[in-house]
Amino acid sequence: MQLTSEEATRALAAIQTTREAMRSAIRAHRGHYHLWLWGVIWIAMALLAEFRGQGGVHLFPWICAAGFGGSMVLGCIQGRQIRAPVDKRFLGVLAAVILFAVLWPLVLRAQVNDRTVFAYAGLVAMLCYVIAGIWFDTYLLWLGLVITALILVGLFCFAAFFWWWIAIFGGGTLIITGFYIRYCWR
Amino acid sequence: MPELDPIIHQPVRLQIMAALNHLGSREQVDFTFLKTKLGLTDGNLGAHLLTLEEAGYIAVQKTFVARKPKTFVAATAAGRRAFEGHVTALTAILKAKGSL
Repeated sequence: MQLTSEEATRALAAIQTTREAMRSAIRAHRGHYHLWLWGVIWIAMALLAEFRGQGGVHLFPWICAAGFGGSMVLGCIQGRQIRAPVDKRFLGVLAAVILFAVLWPLVLRAQVNDRTVFAYAGLVAMLCYVIAGIWFDTYLLWLGLVITALILVGLFCFAAFFWWWIAIFGGGTLIITGFYIRYCWR
Repeated sequence: MPELDPIIHQPVRLQIMAALNHLGSREQVDFTFLKTKLGLTDGNLGAHLLTLEEAGYIAVQKTFVARKPKTFVAATAAGRRAFEGHVTALTAILKAKGSL
């Protein structure tokens, strides 16, 4: 098969045009909605705990349940156009992590307060991000590692204003990453 | 040195492969979504997908979502290699003729 340089140029231009069209379409199907949703949820929980104390903390399970429901709906809607078939091994790892996350505090019986419980739950979620990053997309891996570090720094170095730290650096990082994925992704 | 692939070089199939190659390695795209993005008709896209599937360059999965039939399409590893080789060959033509 022989081509002139003009034909080759036209073919490469067509490829580039298609890539640009797909790039913008794919951006709209990344995980940014989930990150925005959970960023808002983290901020809401942190501010409830800061301003309403124990009464606000008692709302956490309900807020998280609403978040899980929202994430499932988003996943179903987005999966109609571009999807990645779920790997059974991935679900198995997630199930194991969640199982152990329930078992650990029962076994350890460490000193428990609102901050440590939130940090623990956040770390479990970030472990899921890290595993998903290993399996699917490296941005999830780095996001999981960065937020893990931020949670630990907030808990051990800035305990006095831990909730502000989580709102700004936890929720804020999730939302900013969501914007990055939506508008600046490769 | 990679060579031009006559199956991929056809303009519509070139667009299809460029689009599918841009997805993640495990991702699939809905037939209707792809048709809209590439501005093709059902028949035209279906015929070219069949050619690419017979060449082993794409995988087509038919399924049901909310009781409605859906067709998802993805590039295979062989398809990705063939497409990258085709792009390399196109680029080499321009380099050889001093256009790049």
